[in-house]
Amino acid sequence: MKKKILTTIAAFACSFISLAAAQDGDAERGKNTYNRVGCYQCHGTDGQGNDAGPMLTPDPLPPEAVANFIRFSPGRMPVYPEEVLSDSEIEDIVAYLASVPPPPDADDIDILRGLEPGD
Amino acid sequence: MTSSSKTAENTVGRRTFLKGAAVTGAASTLSGAATASPSKRSLDTQAQGTTKAAPPTVDQMELEASTPQQLAEANAEQVAVGLGPQQSTVFGSDFMIDVMKSLDLEYVFSNPGSSFLGLHESITVYGDNQKPEFITCMHEESAAAMCNGYYKAALKPAAMMCHGTVGLQHAAMNIYNAWCDRVPMIAILGNHADAHARLGATTWRHSAQDPASMVRDFTKWDDQPHSLQAFANSFVRGWKIATTPPMEPIAIVADAELQLMEVEDRSALQIPRFTPSEPPQGERGAVQEAARMLVDAEEPLIIADRAARTPNGMKLLVELAELLNAPVVDIASRQNIPTAHYLDHTRRSGQLIGRADVILGLEVTDFWGQVNFVNRETMTSYPRTKDGAKLITIDVNDLYLKSNYQDFQRYAPVDLSISGDAEATLPALIDEVRNAVSRDRRRAIAAREDGMRKIHRDLYEDSRQLAAQGWNSSPVSTGRMCMELYDKIKNEDWALVSVGASERFVSSWPHRLWNIDEHYRYLGIGAGGGVGYGLPAAVGAALANKKLGRFSVNIQCDGDFMYANGALWTAAHHRVPLLTVMHNNRAYAQETMLVQGTANRRKRGVDKAPIGTVIQDPNINYAKLAEGMGVWSVGPIEDPNDLGPALAEAVKVVKSGYPALVDVVTQMR
Repeated sequence: MKKKILTTIAAFACSFISLAAAQDGDAERGKNTYNRVGCYQCHGTDGQGNDAGPMLTPDPLPPEAVANFIRFSPGRMPVYPEEVLSDSEIEDIVAYLASVPPPPDADDIDILRGLEPGD
Repeated sequence: MTSSSKTAENTVGRRTFLKGAAVTGAASTLSGAATASPSKRSLDTQAQGTTKAAPPTVDQMELEASTPQQLAEANAEQVAVGLGPQQSTVFGSDFMIDVMKSLDLEYVFSNPGSSFLGLHESITVYGDNQKPEFITCMHEESAAAMCNGYYKAALKPAAMMCHGTVGLQHAAMNIYNAWCDRVPMIAILGNHADAHARLGATTWRHSAQDPASMVRDFTKWDDQPHSLQAFANSFVRGWKIATTPPMEPIAIVADAELQLMEVEDRSALQIPRFTPSEPPQGERGAVQEAARMLVDAEEPLIIADRAARTPNGMKLLVELAELLNAPVVDIASRQNIPTAHYLDHTRRSGQLIGRADVILGLEVTDFWGQVNFVNRETMTSYPRTKDGAKLITIDVNDLYLKSNYQDFQRYAPVDLSISGDAEATLPALIDEVRNAVSRDRRRAIAAREDGMRKIHRDLYEDSRQLAAQGWNSSPVSTGRMCMELYDKIKNEDWALVSVGASERFVSSWPHRLWNIDEHYRYLGIGAGGGVGYGLPAAVGAALANKKLGRFSVNIQCDGDFMYANGALWTAAHHRVPLLTVMHNNRAYAQETMLVQGTANRRKRGVDKAPIGTVIQDPNINYAKLAEGMGVWSVGPIEDPNDLGPALAEAVKVVKSGYPALVDVVTQMR
């Protein structure tokens, strides 16, 4: 539990770091890596998230925060050790996620516009 | 002995002929499928037009017969199968059909087999293929799943019929699914008990000393009656046992010789009256104590799984929740609370379980799993509840158990365990809660309402915004697929009859954003986790809904589809209106994730996780597959903008009374 708290604090702390590190990564290469190592399975091909994993876009966490989380994931998220996914590959992935255009607002979609419970 | 029994030699000739007659019955069903309740006249007419399978007429048999004895036998046989004008002979299987009719059994789901030829023929000819109607299935596993889906839509049991050997081996998995799902169904098992009457090698292979033993671990009761009167008693008894909570499947062996024997005196056979059992209720003192704990709680929580067996259960649960202003976590193996109700807080179950001071579990199979967390990495567990939280359960979990299969889940230590059917106990609990509420407590409970309403609205709004994520992605996001679908059906009297083994496979979008306001709008999952449930269960449910005027929708996972896709043909053949939307993520996606997680833990890389877990190279064209079985279809759809128009067309097809399939290439979850 202590480890979980520390990991979470670290992730949040890192989220305040500039995205400059992500800009070092290669988005195209990152997209390939994202799909190759199976991130898309739980987070969707565009990082949109779903029941299996939270959304990663828009505004992804910086690479340091991502690395910190996935190296020590305390929950359902599989641990990605450095042997499986290097720091530079994480930078590429974050660069890819940062390049994904933001989704439309729900109110910009006819089917979702104004939906309320009971509709 | 009230019925005649003949020597094996005498029986063989008649049985050989009956085999032909049974095939005719099946052929009649085939050509008569377009008519929901074909008349006997239409069946006979169709049979005459089916040269290959039609039985010989008296004239034909006279031509072929060469002796007076043979001529006499020919006339007798015509009378025996009920085709002649002097139908008077009643066979054992005819009486069995009378028993089924007495219980208003609507359907027998089956794939034809020689050990139940008598019953097959009696259903189609003697019984006029009505109540029960023979539904042609392409696999016994499908037949069992159709019973499951049918029950959950119609709330009355159906039967499946198969060989007690090879057929039951096929059916076993979906009988287990029904067992785990507390679904009553009747498995009728054909068998040749008398070894002397067996015809040849295959008949021997299709015979067993104790056929039901194969499924005894996951059926509530079984019997192998040795007389027609015993069959009647056992069938009615089995029906009663199956429909008494905890409801479960039962199996009855129908001996082939009993089916085929002539009944000498039908009036001597009695069909016992069926009297349903009142479900067991929780003990009143314990219910009082539960009420007091709930009323005194500052943050009570209700977790419901199969609490609402019927629509009334849903109303009762809402009444209880409103009296307490207690949030409800709906695991939804049956729909327990309307999704639009302000106390449906399922989406924040983890938070609620961690904060609650009293938790009431209603018919929760895995209550331990709800109040504890298991870390997959370390295989350690810890409570999700806060210190001092009081746990109450009301369920029938301990009232009927078997040892071998472990679906009873981990033992859950609780503070108050009440054995009784939750729905039957709710009226007493509601009464006791009313009695226990003081003026102060009423004020405190009422003060929770605004907060609950706001959180419910916020949860909905979060989901609405999340559904927009990946809206234009290809493969199509499950959020878009589900909301495009909902948009096309929400003005119908719709029912989501299956989502396969887990709604989480589509990220639970129906429960997040669809207005599930009736018990029948959501029928839960394949509870045993056996793959091959989704499509046939949907067909069974849609068959029930057809008569009830409901529009049936099935969200169909691709891996599950390939286990039992013959069920589509059954839907086409019997004109079952059902909209199937393929969640075609081209993988056994959950297994892909799990294998990948294992590889990660072992630090061996994840590149090989797709081996054995993806369904690619070649990709399967489900639309073509459906088309080949006579089902209107479209796809594969990869551009999300093509989805809406395709669904609109499919809805029209289904509303005209036919099945339709839309193949959507989707994101993993």
